[in-house]
Amino acid sequence: MSSTAVRAMVRSPFVLIVGAVLTWFIAAFLVWPNINVLIATFFPDGSFSGRAAEKLFSSQRAMKALGNSFLLAVALSITVNLVGVFIVLVTHYFRIRGSRILFLGYASTFIYGGIVLAAGYKFIYGDKGIVTSLLVKVFPGMDPAWFSGFFAVLVVMTFATTTNHMLFVANALKGVDYQTIEAARNLGASTWTILRRIVLPMLKPTLFAVTILSFLTGLGALSAPQVLGGRDFQTITPMILTFTNSPTSRDLAALLAVILGLATILMLAVMSRLEKGGTYFSVSKVSSALQKQDITNPVANVVVHAVAYLLFAVYTLPVVLIVLYSFADGAAIQTGELAFGSLTLENYQRVLTQQSGLRPFIVSVVYSALAALIAVGGLLFVARLLQKYKNWVASVFEYLLHIPWILPSALLALGLIISYDHPNPLVGGAVLTGTTVILLIAFVTVKIPFTLRMLKASFASVNSSLEEAAAIMGAKTLYVFRRILLPLVLPAAAAITALNFNSLLDDYDTAIFLAHPLVQPLGLVIKANTDGAEGVDGVANTFVYTVLLMVITGVTMYLVYGRSSRERSRKKKLPAVPPASQVPGPGLPGTPVAGEDAAQPAAPVR
Amino acid sequence: MVYTNSNGEGRGEWWTAKAAEAGFKIEIVGAGGADATNKLIAEKNNPIADVAFGLNNMYFSQIQAEDALEAYEPSWAGEVDKELGDGETYWPLVKQAILLGYNSDKIPADKAPQDWTDLWTKDEFKDRYERVTGLGTATAQLVFAGILSRYQDDSGDLGVSDEGWKQVEQYFQNGSPAVAKTDLFARIASGEVDMGQMPSSIIAEREKSFNVNVETVVPSVGVPLAVEQIALVKGTEKKEQTQKFIDWFGSAEVQGEFAQQFNAMPVNKEAAAQANPEVVDFFADLKQQDIDWDFVQENMGAWVEKIELEYMT
Repeated sequence: MSSTAVRAMVRSPFVLIVGAVLTWFIAAFLVWPNINVLIATFFPDGSFSGRAAEKLFSSQRAMKALGNSFLLAVALSITVNLVGVFIVLVTHYFRIRGSRILFLGYASTFIYGGIVLAAGYKFIYGDKGIVTSLLVKVFPGMDPAWFSGFFAVLVVMTFATTTNHMLFVANALKGVDYQTIEAARNLGASTWTILRRIVLPMLKPTLFAVTILSFLTGLGALSAPQVLGGRDFQTITPMILTFTNSPTSRDLAALLAVILGLATILMLAVMSRLEKGGTYFSVSKVSSALQKQDITNPVANVVVHAVAYLLFAVYTLPVVLIVLYSFADGAAIQTGELAFGSLTLENYQRVLTQQSGLRPFIVSVVYSALAALIAVGGLLFVARLLQKYKNWVASVFEYLLHIPWILPSALLALGLIISYDHPNPLVGGAVLTGTTVILLIAFVTVKIPFTLRMLKASFASVNSSLEEAAAIMGAKTLYVFRRILLPLVLPAAAAITALNFNSLLDDYDTAIFLAHPLVQPLGLVIKANTDGAEGVDGVANTFVYTVLLMVITGVTMYLVYGRSSRERSRKKKLPAVPPASQVPGPGLPGTPVAGEDAAQPAAPVR
Repeated sequence: MVYTNSNGEGRGEWWTAKAAEAGFKIEIVGAGGADATNKLIAEKNNPIADVAFGLNNMYFSQIQAEDALEAYEPSWAGEVDKELGDGETYWPLVKQAILLGYNSDKIPADKAPQDWTDLWTKDEFKDRYERVTGLGTATAQLVFAGILSRYQDDSGDLGVSDEGWKQVEQYFQNGSPAVAKTDLFARIASGEVDMGQMPSSIIAEREKSFNVNVETVVPSVGVPLAVEQIALVKGTEKKEQTQKFIDWFGSAEVQGEFAQQFNAMPVNKEAAAQANPEVVDFFADLKQQDIDWDFVQENMGAWVEKIELEYMT
């Protein structure tokens, strides 16, 4: 994994083919449309104007909101790691009673999010919430509106975004070599020392990767601040969305987005630098599977159990309430008054017997599945090459592939429209607007950065000696890729595919501009049925759709992720794939290593 | 292919069925006013829509400015007030009043505000009215069009005098910010606030759902009217058929039936006869605010930007 010369790289036909396809894709769908849209926004009459920057920097509100977004991003990077590592440890590392039940509770963030999640927390801790009412009875003097502002937003977003920890950090933990832990114990190390000196350092690369994602989530926060932020804690995303929709202010939106994008890239660079400073691999060549640890100190044991179950309650209560409220009428949802007698199936009837019926669900499932598969399938090759070859060409490609993180999806969509509403040689002279392909292209592109980061990480955890051995024995590049690398990264790839699929299901921002009029995905129908203009039923519909989406995403996580872990235990028996020892290279998060996690349940929803 | 922002609450289904009876096979694509406008403008080189309806005059004049509409004079042009559209490309269908409504169970008519400006100049209304947290919606933009156009001043910033901008500042400083996904009527019902902006068409239904009573304020200058329009999209391949569709859509008979079904106030004089009499009476008594729409249209984008950046807190 040392840095490779560009000349050596271009000698391989595999690299040349992947490189050619990649260059075309990046040029056609990442660079060209976005350059077009940026030119159109910043150079409206052919000359650059510094108007956007001037307006923004003199606006107190914009600066404050921007500051809040950054504050949230930084705070979230810390709190999500604290909570995330804790729940990963209690479900996968320590011996905790009922850890499978705990796991299901913590995994609830896999299947829902957004405005309904924020609303769910408000039902519990808001001024008329269940917990607040109880607290006010105990402490009559307390302020019923205690759960608002920065604190509330941070709490909700922290618990809402531990998904990546549950998937990727948990997998990395399974790859920790148990022999090292045993050796340390024999030398007299305490539980805490082992955790701090052996386990956490080995998780560092993965933690760096998920920290970037947490940072990004904080920067892009939208619904939690809107619902819970109150007057004092509003973030920048709502302003970006308003300005994106107003042609005369689009330059402000683009500028704000670019600022956030640059911050993300900076974070990426800092994290890569940090990662390079350490050594994260295990010294043992024959590793053994992790076994759950007892917490020897009885006081600590009780405390950890108590906190684990308290967190369980925090995670599951909103889900339970959302499901309950989805049976209540719209007025009850908005005033927060729930009467058990008034729960009916009416909301579900109304949503499911619409004229459009199940069609949007099918359209969305097909689009999301295709996009998720194409993104992961295509990037498997790319991630492999970027991870193997480290030189300036590879770096340029890698940064270019992060473009979709820089611009909001509505701008990406506009870029595609203005670039391909006329015959364009980049796509063989075809006109893409008004076709069903253009939305698929947009869906694939928005998922590229996340997919790439996570795939690259999983390739990094593959022991390179396996590949070398195969190559020495005369295996061809593609054969090595197919028979050795692919089976090892498949579990991670499946998990990424599932997450991509889930997040695309209810997309609105891209679909509104690009969807074919006759093939409209779910996001548009949801929006049409949940907007204020839809009346009181709109809010009830939001809840129904959320519950329906929870069902779909829950099933997906079970099918894809649950199944892939079974697959893994089966693959273990294949002689071609010996158990790999955990040797994550510097700068690269580790992901599941085949064969080692068969003993532990890895499926989130089982 | 029809783009509209007026397909909610069963209207889309109703139109599709009615059009099929009349022999038009239509496919409705629903999107919010701003989204539909942006979509029509973005697609102008290769349009997908044949016709668009439901957007108000402000949105259509934006689309017209981008040259994405085709001039057409519908057969019913003589039955409507030309002034409500641009008399060339987009034609008026339905009127909607943008009102200030208050909880009449709590505030008697003689103690109610007389105008928007009372909300922030009189202490008893401070923090009792809901103010918007974004200017993305047509209703919010029209409220500001109504307030700012009273202070038109060519020497002022963006055509509005300092006094006008002070009103905006006060509006934001003294109002209770709207809460995402919580309807104004829900907040009125729970006593959080007593008044706020509302389009005329939703009032009756919300009063019932949230079990509150709301009266509306008619300031001495009148209330802003939003007029939903219909227009032919430039570059459509089915021009002739679409023109026939527009002729059918805006006809007195069809508009009358629609008005009856959805409590709307048609612009078409003959259709108004079939509309719900309460609605017709309400609009008959309503004083319309005289707004220079060209002035508003020209400046609205910049106003929204200025308000978002400088006055919203």
